[in-house]
Amino acid sequence: MAQSKSMLVALADIRMALKLKMVKWSLVLSAAFGPLMTIGLVAGPVLVFTGPELNLMIAILMPMAAAMLAMFSVIPATMISANALVGEREQSTLEPLLCTPLTDRELLWGKTLSSVLICGAILVLSTLASTIGIAAVLLGAGKQLIIFPDLPGLFMLAVVAPIVLFAVVSLMIIISGKVQRVYEAYQMSGAIILIFMIPMMAPIIFSPSGVVDPSMIWMWNFVSFLLAVVIAVVTWAIAFKQFNRDSMVSLV
Amino acid sequence: MGEIVTDQLSKRFGKLKALDHVDIVVPKGSVFGLLGPNGAGKSTTTRLLCTLLKPSFGTARVGEYDIIENPVKVREITGVLPEEGSHTLYPGMTAYQNLEYFAKLYDVPDEEIHERIEELLTFMELWERKDDNAGELSTGNRQRLALCRALLHRPEVLLLDEPTSALDPVAAKRVRELILSLAKKYNQTFFINSHNLSEVQRICDRIAIIDKGQILLTGTTAELREQLHAKQEYMIRVAGDIEKAKSITESHHFVESVKVGVDSLIVTIDDPYENNSQLMQGLLAAGVNIIEFAEEEASLEDLYLEVLNGGGN
Repeated sequence: MAQSKSMLVALADIRMALKLKMVKWSLVLSAAFGPLMTIGLVAGPVLVFTGPELNLMIAILMPMAAAMLAMFSVIPATMISANALVGEREQSTLEPLLCTPLTDRELLWGKTLSSVLICGAILVLSTLASTIGIAAVLLGAGKQLIIFPDLPGLFMLAVVAPIVLFAVVSLMIIISGKVQRVYEAYQMSGAIILIFMIPMMAPIIFSPSGVVDPSMIWMWNFVSFLLAVVIAVVTWAIAFKQFNRDSMVSLV
Repeated sequence: MGEIVTDQLSKRFGKLKALDHVDIVVPKGSVFGLLGPNGAGKSTTTRLLCTLLKPSFGTARVGEYDIIENPVKVREITGVLPEEGSHTLYPGMTAYQNLEYFAKLYDVPDEEIHERIEELLTFMELWERKDDNAGELSTGNRQRLALCRALLHRPEVLLLDEPTSALDPVAAKRVRELILSLAKKYNQTFFINSHNLSEVQRICDRIAIIDKGQILLTGTTAELREQLHAKQEYMIRVAGDIEKAKSITESHHFVESVKVGVDSLIVTIDDPYENNSQLMQGLLAAGVNIIEFAEEEASLEDLYLEVLNGGGN
């Protein structure tokens, strides 16, 4: 029963979020822009460069593309979760919802699920679209096939991205008890997404020779993973501990 | 034993005392009205009772459950119409979807959901609008829909904040009738916040007047009058010269005050049981044609204003 009530809340949130133009456009742009950028970053150099130059470009751009795709997939979570919590309060629909027999756990899971379901779907579909798109471009141009994502990229997309997604929502739960307007919530939760800048930039910045070492890619992916886990666990623990109907209602 | 019992219920917002040691007992199956000016603490009381807020001090029991120890159980047995209920619906969902969503959240059995929604929407004359988005309905219709939502799971206790605000007189009358019939038929307990004094007087068994977070007076209208030692007024309706009737009335030493209406006088009399007949004889002897001589019901509005002006302290 607990699960189904959370799912009810999540589905209602998704339905309401999809009525908002801003959220709808953010979903469309994320779903389209992520794969397009990825295809451009990975397939583009193959069409232009050859030999060692190509290998260097691929070594730099593959982790960057995976992190970028993950980032684009997680961005809509800030909007969906902000609307699910702060937006409901702004619309005055939160009070009757808080008067129902939903427990705090059911309510928070519901609010989390709405973002996880949509962004999870975008993540999977964007990854598939990128893989197929890159393969299609390369095969069409008669070039050697490159499988995207590679193993570190898959780790980024399948492990780190869902944890960051979770962290975004739990941060939003904390923020929702402190801000009054949706746009304030967007701005504050968006900062977590900067985690993806680590695997994008760090392997390049921290390779003095200019040659990206695969072990460095793994290391920075793992640093991102650890950071995401710490943020997700801490924010989730704080969110659960601090969440109370009193502060949500007192801000009305 | 009361269905709602508050024990020293208090709520502070920072330095502001929104509610200060409030004790209320609402018997099961009764309709209780909480009256007070804006900012008096009415909505805070409702929000504490439906567990939206936590008390700073004291507690309350709704049905069998304490609001601090068993908030989920309290929410299961209460139906709530929040302040400005018409604005609390999901505007992008249809009237039917709004009710269906809450029916599921309140664990209404699946096989009963459609029947209950149809029954309530039909009663509130909204069945024809069931497929319209709530955001497209008029304020009055949204208020009715919000009321349907509060009634949907047949709660033991209904906490209604201004239930007939934004309703036209006909719809307001239907809602009042509904409240009375539900209280009688299903023994449901109603806790109503209202500014509408005549409405409260018509439907509430008991009334409390609250101001600055404190209950100033509680009881039935008659009890309030007694507590305030309000003077009984008498209405004397006359045919003919009202001014003459007034001057003769005023000439009696036991008459304390006289107010003149179109064809009647409203009079307060010292020791009325002793002096009423003397006044009537005096008027008749002076040739005043008396059509009616009756006790005037003290209106709740008079009592309310008297309490807020310090009479209740």
